[in-house]
This record gives sequence, structure tokens and C-alpha cells, in this order.
Amino acid sequence: MKFIRLVMLSAALTLLSFAAQAQGKPAGKDAVLYFVWPQNGTTIKGGFWCRFGLRNMGVTHAGDDFQNSGHHHLLIDVNEPLNPNEEIPSDKSHLHFGAGQTEARIELPPGKHTLQLVLGDAKHYPFNPPVVSEKITITIK
Amino acid sequence: MRCGIVIQQNMVGRNASLPKHHWIEYRIGVNLGDVIIEADDIYGDGVNIATRLEGIAEPGEVYISGGIYEQIKHKLVCGYESLGDRKVKNITDPVRVYRVLPDAAAYSRTRKRRETLLISLLSLALLVIAGGALWYLLGQPSIRVADRAPAPSQTQPNPAATQAVPPPQTAPPAAPATQQAAPNVQPVAPTAPQAVPKQEPAVPGQPAEPKSGVASAPVSPATPGAPRASAVREPEMLPLRGGTFVMGSNDEASEKPVHQVTIKPFAISKYPTTVREWNECAAAKACTFTAAGKDDAPVTNVSWSDARQFVGWLAAATQKPYRLPSEAEWEYAARGGTQSKYWWGDQLQPGMANCKNCADVATAEQPVKVGSFKPNPFGLYDMGGGIDQWVEDCWHKTYQGAPSDGSPWGAGDCSSHVIRSGSWRNDATYVRPASRNSYDTNVRYPTHGFRVALSP
Repeated sequence: MKFIRLVMLSAALTLLSFAAQAQGKPAGKDAVLYFVWPQNGTTIKGGFWCRFGLRNMGVTHAGDDFQNSGHHHLLIDVNEPLNPNEEIPSDKSHLHFGAGQTEARIELPPGKHTLQLVLGDAKHYPFNPPVVSEKITITIK
Repeated sequence: MRCGIVIQQNMVGRNASLPKHHWIEYRIGVNLGDVIIEADDIYGDGVNIATRLEGIAEPGEVYISGGIYEQIKHKLVCGYESLGDRKVKNITDPVRVYRVLPDAAAYSRTRKRRETLLISLLSLALLVIAGGALWYLLGQPSIRVADRAPAPSQTQPNPAATQAVPPPQTAPPAAPATQQAAPNVQPVAPTAPQAVPKQEPAVPGQPAEPKSGVASAPVSPATPGAPRASAVREPEMLPLRGGTFVMGSNDEASEKPVHQVTIKPFAISKYPTTVREWNECAAAKACTFTAAGKDDAPVTNVSWSDARQFVGWLAAATQKPYRLPSEAEWEYAARGGTQSKYWWGDQLQPGMANCKNCADVATAEQPVKVGSFKPNPFGLYDMGGGIDQWVEDCWHKTYQGAPSDGSPWGAGDCSSHVIRSGSWRNDATYVRPASRNSYDTNVRYPTHGFRVALSP
């Protein structure tokens, strides 16, 4: 398990190093993406409101090509590394908030889950370098 | 009683995949009363009434007695339909019977049935009254109408009445009535510039003038209309017979509960809408952007609102009721009469659909052109995989309360709408005809497209 994690980490790091050639637009200086709620290690009963925080950049609609702004994506239990040269996928584990939402009602089955935020540009590409939050782990009772 | 509902719902799920003569349908009766339990049998009043209730229940239904109803009416949230007091065999007093309506769909069905009954009764009563009133009015004042006939302004409101009941009134104002019949046609013809002569027939002795206006009016809009309709390339549509099918699956929470839906006949496009078709709309300035890509590739990067714009334009240009399919219609069409996990069976097979890690076209330029994979049993292409497809329905997290008549489900979270089919970037679980997902209504994404439907 630990070995796999190490491989994952190194894969993620190699991809990050390639990010220089990424499609995405340049990220805002000192941009910080973070979870307002829940925090890492929180245990939650049932559904919850997940709240997204962003510093030094703005939130806008997908499709709006404004400088220094993007829209949120929430990655649930995603282990594959982010591909900076591809649009952020859209499926049941990659939730898109292209209308500029900054919170979402999340319902997950009981157990441990990981959450991570990724900021996307007008065309859903990650920024360059990617603006991502810490990957947090929560437990649903 | 909750147990009874669950049993019945599970039986619907089980029967779904079987032909009708293999179905098992339970009738369930529930009663509250004394039960005598012995080693090899149970009996007593409580059991007897429950048995009788079971006897009068319809297959697949749960009937409960008045006693149970009084206990649970405010506790278990579902609908109940009172069937009144029923006399049952070997029980002295009549038993009050309620039918359980487990979900909102059944509840609204029953309510609708009651409403239609009430409305039809009401309208019947109204009709009788109206008929009586008309008979009274027409029987008596025919003399008075004859008096008024010479005054031309008064005859103006007559045409409506003459259409409904011709005999008594047409006789006195015969001359103006024939003239009025002609201009009456005018509002039907769109953009008729000769709307002015409307008042002229009131002046008798000028029949030629309005008649020529009427003759020219229908012709002029028809001539530009006909070539315009033929200029628009219509998508290849496949008419589908209506039918009842079982929608949803137990694979994902959003696909539950599995429920029966009856679809009315409709037509759906054989392929997803292509770049070529889209760009005709863009050329007509009815769609907001020109799509890039090969002509026979599906159009992508469209939001739900974009898709609605396209069908709106197509409907107007062809004068046919083109629209987006409802979610139920989409799944009905995608299943192609099958009840398996995929339309070709329960196992994933290579080359059947364009999805991540399940097609041989991983290296090809995506999205590949429409119709590159096998059609489903209805002859429809790309119903699963390829591109995600918008449908008319607003997003609902589950099918709790979904309509059972195949109509689009509007109320709910309409800031996002349902997407179906899964794309080349999703794995095989998204290719299942039951798979459903949602996306923001006004946001474009590079794997999202659509196909069109047509009401008969």
C-alpha cells in the first residue's frame, strides 16, 4: 500500500514538473485553494455542505475568460494524478461548479473519503501551475 | 406495512427482466387484530380480515384495514386511497379498506384519476346547464335577433354563435353571415397584411373587396414558407412505438428506485446532432457559436441552453415539434427493448461503445464521427458512450417521485440538467443505459452534446 502511494506521489510530481508545458492559463500569484469546511480528519454524520475557499484569485463562470479567475472542481476519492494538459474530467468523482458555486451539498456513503479542490480556467483546464487544495480525508459515519 | 411496500417494489424490479408469464405478483393485506398462534397454524379475527383484504387487493398492491390506517396515517409518509367500507366473507361488520400508494407517482396518478373524474363530471354538468341555457335563449329570442339584424354593427359577434348552433340564427342575417365567414379565416393566416378589411363586411354590397384579400393572404406566406422548410437539413429520425419499460437500476443510488414508465410513441434522431447540423443553426444566427470539428462528428461543448436553442430553431424552421428527449424517453430508446446492464448484455464487449478503456479508438481523434459503433436493437447509434447527451429534465438526485408517463421531469434543481450516455472520457459504467449524471444548465463542457426528439 505504502509502495503504491509512493509511486502515485512520484507520478504526480513528474506530472507537475511537466506542467510548464501545460495548456492552462497562468495561475494567480500566491493563489491558495482550501476547504473552509470540512477540515482534514473531520468525522461527519450524513450529508454535509462542503464550502470552498480561494485566496488571491476570483471565482467566475466556466467560459468567462477573465484574468486571474476560475471555477471550482471537487475531486472525491480520486487517486489518479491530475493531467494538466487535459480538461478536468467530468464524472461522479469529479464534480464541476461552472456556475461559480462556492459550496455544495455532498452526500457520501459511510466510510473514509478523500476530497480535493482543483481550480479550472474558462475551458476547464487546470491552471499553470495547478491551483489545487490539500487533499483531505474525512470519515462519514 | 413498510415491509409490504418493499416486497412489492422488489417484485417490480424482479419482474422487470422476465417475460410476463414468468412474473410473480403478490397481493398483500394488512390488518391489526387478535391473532392466535399455535405450533402449526395462526388464526383469529386479525388473520381472517387480513386474508379477506388480500383477496380483494389487486396484484402488486397493498391493502390495509381502517385500524392500521388510523395507527399509521401520520407516521408513514405515503398516500392512501380510501375504498370505503367493504363487506367481506364471514366477517360480521364491514371493514374499512385503504389502498396504499407507496410513492408520489402512484399518489399523483390516483389524484389525477380522481381529478379527471371530477372534472369530467363537472364539465358534463356545465354542458347540461349550458345546453339548457342555449336552448332557452335560442328558442325564445329568435324573433328579437331578426329585429336587430338590419343593424350591421350588432351582427359582428354573431359568427361564433353561428358556428356552434347554425339553424335558428343563420336564417335572418343570411346576407351578412356569408360575408363574415370569409374574413373569419384571416387570423389563421400568419402575417396577413389585409387585416383591415375585418370591419368592411359590415357594410353590405362590397363582397368582392374582402374576398380578394382573403384569396391572396394564404398564398403569400405559403410560398416563402415551403422552400424555407426544405432548405433545412432535417436529422434522420427513427419513429419508436410507445410501450412500458422498467427505468433505473440498483447499481447506483441515483438510479433508484427502479420504476415502470409508459412511453408514448415518439421519434428520436438516429445519431447525435452533428457539427454540420449545428452549424446550419449557427449560420441562421439562431445558435450563438460556430462549432469546430469535422462535419460528421457530434457537436460538443454545448450547454443545455445551447441545445434548447438548437431544437427551438429546428422546430421553427421545419414547423415540426422538434425538442430534446425526456430522460425516460432517452433510457427507453437506449435500452432498445432490453433489460440487461448494457443493451448488448450484461458483460462489457469491446467495440460496442466509445468509452474510456473499452474501445479500440483510444488513439483516434475524439470525438469520432457519429455512427462509428454498432447500433442498438432499435437501430439507434451512440446511445451510450461517445458524447454525453442533454435531455429535457431538470436534475433530481433519485427517481423518488419521478413521473411514470415518460414526460420530462421539470420541477427540482433546474440550475442543472440531466446528461445521459457518458462520453469517450468516462469508463464503462457510464455507458449503461440506466447511468445518469448532471451538469450546470448554462455551462459548456467539451464532452457534452445532444440528440433531438420529435413528437408525432
